[in-house]
This record gives sequence, C-alpha cells and structure tokens, in this order.
Amino acid sequence: MTSPLSVQNLVKEYRTPGREPFLAVQGITFEIQERECFGLLGPNGAGKSTSMHCISGFYPATSGQIRIFDIDVQAHPQKARMCLGICSQEDTLDTDFTVLDQMVRYGTYFRVPVDEGRRRSLELLNRFGLQEKKNDLVEQLSGGMRRRLQVARSLVSRPRVWILDEPTTGLDPEVRRVVWEILSEERTKGTAILLSTHYMEEAQRLCDRVAILSHGKILDCGSPTELIVKHMGSAEIEEEIRKGVMWKRPPNLEDVYLRLTGSRLENGE
Amino acid sequence: MTGWWGIRCVWLRYFDVYRKSLLYSVVTTFVEPMLYLIAFGFGLGGLVKSIQVDHAAVSYRQFVFAGIVGQTLLFQAFFEAAYGSFIRMYYQRVFQAIATTPITLSEVLWAEIIWDSTKATFACLAVLLIGTVLGDFSVAGALLTLPLCFVCAFIFSGLGVLVAARSRTIEDISYPQYLLIFPMFLFCGIFFPMENLPRILQWLAWALPLTSVVSLVRTLTLGFPFRVQALPILLLWLAVLVPWSRTAMTRRLVK
Repeated sequence: MTSPLSVQNLVKEYRTPGREPFLAVQGITFEIQERECFGLLGPNGAGKSTSMHCISGFYPATSGQIRIFDIDVQAHPQKARMCLGICSQEDTLDTDFTVLDQMVRYGTYFRVPVDEGRRRSLELLNRFGLQEKKNDLVEQLSGGMRRRLQVARSLVSRPRVWILDEPTTGLDPEVRRVVWEILSEERTKGTAILLSTHYMEEAQRLCDRVAILSHGKILDCGSPTELIVKHMGSAEIEEEIRKGVMWKRPPNLEDVYLRLTGSRLENGE
Repeated sequence: MTGWWGIRCVWLRYFDVYRKSLLYSVVTTFVEPMLYLIAFGFGLGGLVKSIQVDHAAVSYRQFVFAGIVGQTLLFQAFFEAAYGSFIRMYYQRVFQAIATTPITLSEVLWAEIIWDSTKATFACLAVLLIGTVLGDFSVAGALLTLPLCFVCAFIFSGLGVLVAARSRTIEDISYPQYLLIFPMFLFCGIFFPMENLPRILQWLAWALPLTSVVSLVRTLTLGFPFRVQALPILLLWLAVLVPWSRTAMTRRLVK
C-alpha cells in the first residue's frame, strides 16, 4: 500500500552568498502511515521546520526524495499539496480578512467551492471554539485564538496528510487539550499526521512514533514506549526537584530526549 | 509551474480585499491623481495657458493631464508593489501562506504584479475619464491609452516588487523612493517639455521608463509625434524588471 508520506534520505543545505553552506538536514528517512501520528522532536535548529518546508515543497531539497501518496513533491508540488494541510510555526493568518472569510478564501486555494468552504469553516470554527469570533478580524483575536484559527484553517481542505509545526505553542493547557482531541479525531478518521513539538508530554500522548532529531540527523526513531525502554530502562528515576526534596517517577520521553540531544551537546558535537 | 487558475485565485484575493475596504481603496487610488489634476491642471494651467511643443501649441492643462496619467501609473504601481508586497511578504506572510497550498509561489508573484498593475490602471482610468469629459483627450485616444497603461504598469510593479525583495526593513524602501521614483516624477516630462532640460539630463531622463510612458500617452491622447525610441526602451525595462523582481522575491522567500 502506498504510504501517505515517505521521506527518503532528505538532505537540505542552505547556500547563502558570502556564507559557508549550512547542512540543516543530513539524510533523514521516515514514512508515515494512515491513522498514524508521527512526531519530529528536537531542539531549536535541529532541522524540524526545514524538513517540513521541504515536505511541503516550499523549499527545494538538496537531495533525497519526498513522496505524498506516491506523488513526487519536488516534481509535482501542486498535485502533492492537494493532499496536504499545513499549519506552519509562523503566524501566516491573512489579517485582511475576518475569521470566517479567510477560512473560506483559504479553501478556494484548494479548489473547495465557496459554499462548501463556508460549511466546513463553520463546522471547524465550532470545533475549535471560535464560532463567536467568525466575523471578527484576525487582529482582534488573542494569541491563543490566532493559533487555534491557524490550526483550524489547515483543516479546511480536509487533508489526508496533516503537517503541524509546533501547533500548541503559546496555548493555555485547556485549549491545548482541545487541539489534542481534534488531532486524535483526525487520526481516527484516517489522516496521517506529522507533528513537530517542543512539548514531550504532547508527543508522548499523541504520537504513535517519534523521531528525535539533532543537527539535522535522526538520532533514534520508534514508539515513545519503545524509546523510553531502550534508552532509560523501566526503573523509576529518582531526582531532586528542589533542595532536600526527592521525587521518584517512571521515565518518560523527555528523559530520552534529553539523554539523546543533551549528551550530544555535552560532547560538543 | 504557473497556471492561470492559481493566478486568478490570488488576484481575486487582492480584489476582494480592495472591495471590502472600498472607502480606503477609493481614497488611496483616486484622491492623489485628482489632487495633481486640480493643482497642476487647473491651478498652474490657469497661469500657463498654452505651451509650444514640437512647433505646435497645446494647452498646459492638456499637456499636464497626459503627464499625470504617467505619474499616476508610476506612483500607484510602485507604491502598491513596494510597500504592499513588503507587508504581504514580511509582516502578513501572505505569500508564504498561499505558496504552501496547491498555488505555487510563481503564481502568487504573477498575481501580485498583475494586481498592482490592475490597481494602477484603475487610477489611470479615472484620470483618462476626467480628461475625456473635459474634452482634453479624444475618446479613441483614451481607450487606446488604457491597455498601454496596463502593460507599462508591469514595469513599475516589477520595480516595486524588486525593491521589496531587496529591502531588509520597510524603511529601506525610502532609498529608491527618493533617489529614483521622485526624480522620475520630476524630470521625465510630466510637468514641462523635455526639451527644456540640458541635453545630458534629457538623455538621462530618456533612459528611465517614465519618459517613454509619458511620451506614448501624449502620442495617443494628444497626437504628439511618436518617439521611436519609446517602445524599445519600455520593452527593455519590461524584459529586465519583471523577471528580475520575481527571481529576487523567490530568492528572498525560498532558502
């Protein structure tokens, strides 16, 4: 069966005149299946966003192959993007439109008819708790609402592959849970999800598999449980949370993340 | 990969914004050329009744009205493209948002240049209408000038997009504005015949695209002699600026 997203030996080198070339992604490979949420974890500058830009076809890959339902993204970006919903890390909301109008307009870029786009947008605004803001301009929304709107907007085309670059950054815990629920619902419907996040709890809760990136390379990849057992064992971890107060807890994905990426920093690599 | 569907889709986005903020759009598109028409056409035109150009007498109002068509084209296309596209690229990130949908960046940039040119042509239409109603331009001349305006607006839109692509901050746009746009506005024959300038300045002015635009507008609206150098100069600017601006903006956005 064709996998929704396949990334093979992706290499991305930034070449800026007057500067040394910078290898941001160094040959990463992974595949995502339907009904799977795949997490890309790593510190800032690890290559997560660059990989996502290449997957969307916005940045050309230096080498390697990216296929979405067997469509080569580099050769046929328009066709490939018809299957993609992208919520980028940056705020790219169209401030010239109201909440509802920009959702409908965004749908038209995917050839969603206006009436259908309006129906889908209202449904999404309802799911994301933004229905009362539908006639407001983006400028009138709080930071958390803007983020929610951007996540909602990326669903208006009903993507089969949903790419989310740090979707819950800046959201309060309650709203973050709403986004988690929607993410789980979309996965249940069959959507393949690529999620980048700094929140390890989020990754552990949502992702079927995660890849931990550092300096453009995948350090390890597997289910959160597998990675925890592999790198941390199953014994409880005892730590001093403040002077004189000891705390025992089971190991988690954050421990794995810190062990893999932190040890590399300590080694000065 | 560029298709008409994508370009049309983005152009409609611009048109929708224009339509939704109609009062702002009308003020920013039409008030400026009107002010120039009133100040120079009626104000100065009342003092300088007629002038001699190429051994023929023409009313100053007619002369300056035709020049203001060119000025309107320059200002409307350049400012919309330079400031507008900088805002859309840098602050709003509209280009990036659309270019990660099935619409390509190439289509987004074509739509940007076509929209900027459309808006400038709207404004020129207002000047041409007033000129025609007042009897300064013939109907046929005004009708022929309109497509010329649309094509020539690509030059100034391209220049604007190029400036936006090369500007690190929005303040950087002021450099070409003061060092290129305003000198063009003053020395490319809008307000006085080119022959009044020293020979060296005439050559310099002819190297700039606005002189050719103004010359062609006067040929079509007032029947002035056709300057043979005008067309190749405009075609050269068109062939250089439009691709250059698109490449510069693509390089700015795509790493």
